[in-house]
Amino acid sequence: MKLRVQYMAQLRAVVGRAEEEMELSEGGSLADLLNQLATTYGAASSHFVTEARQARPSLLIVVNDSAVSARDAATTVLHTNDVVTLLPPIAGG
Amino acid sequence: MSHLPELTPDERSRYEWQLWVRDFGEEGQRRLKQATVLVSRIGGVGGSAAMQLAAAGIGRLILAHAGNVRLNDLNRQLLMTTDWIGKPRVESASRRLHDLNPHVEIETIAENINDSNAAELVSRCDVAVSAAPLFAERLLMNREAVRQRKPLVDSAMYELEGRLTTIIPGRSPCLSCLYPEPPPNWKREFPVFSAVSSAVGSLAAMEVIKLIAGIGEPLTGRLLTFDLRDMSFRTVPIARQLDCPVCSALSP
Repeated sequence: MKLRVQYMAQLRAVVGRAEEEMELSEGGSLADLLNQLATTYGAASSHFVTEARQARPSLLIVVNDSAVSARDAATTVLHTNDVVTLLPPIAGG
Repeated sequence: MSHLPELTPDERSRYEWQLWVRDFGEEGQRRLKQATVLVSRIGGVGGSAAMQLAAAGIGRLILAHAGNVRLNDLNRQLLMTTDWIGKPRVESASRRLHDLNPHVEIETIAENINDSNAAELVSRCDVAVSAAPLFAERLLMNREAVRQRKPLVDSAMYELEGRLTTIIPGRSPCLSCLYPEPPPNWKREFPVFSAVSSAVGSLAAMEVIKLIAGIGEPLTGRLLTFDLRDMSFRTVPIARQLDCPVCSALSP
């Protein structure tokens, strides 16, 4: 299934784009997507997942219009045409 | 309302145009006059918040920021002046704010928020604004505000983006609910235009004014994110984490 992934803040520089379309297996979860991104952007994997390949706890994630906690990534099933926005932590002051 | 300080004729005249704001009026202005607001760091975001709060007539501002003015502060730290390069930032800020509004009492702390001063500084304010460039400081401020049940406006930016949420301890998610770990990839230096940091700071100041005056709907339980690259603004509901080590023990 096709999804749209939007990158915010410093993630845009890390992955080199503001958004992209991703292909994820039918029934795939948010955790699956983050692991796929970690593999695709290997050097930047720590933005998406921890060393244990769990969703990065401090990554803010919005699926369509709902915030999803990283801890719920494994149980959040994604659907065709979902828009997943990834907001890395920022503290510019 | 009788416990609130009276406005002088000069103050009534100075604030005349904001006294016309619906639901605000003289009582709102007197509430601002009675209030103390702590601003953690007065750089691009916090300095602009402090400027807006001084213009609005907050009674007392406590400004915490270490270090001296540097040339490369001046693209965004609007309380700093070229003639003050090499001298303490809080002194420059105090002068600027006094020039803007001499009715506001300014207390300067030439230190950043740290383990030694956080509890005491938070205890003396009614509302706090967090605008430090380090998560350690923001998370410390959050912990202390939650412990003392003080409202906290957390305001942050990066490049052309801004984020804001208002934390009412026990009622809305705290910063540790959003960031349960110190973010490992954040770097202390970040790209910034003053137009962006000032926008975030101004929005934070508006939240403070709303909280103190009791007008409007504060940005609690919601995260505002905006991207000035395409002028998109978005508000997303956010939830408390039931096992948050900082705020989960508090009930509304």
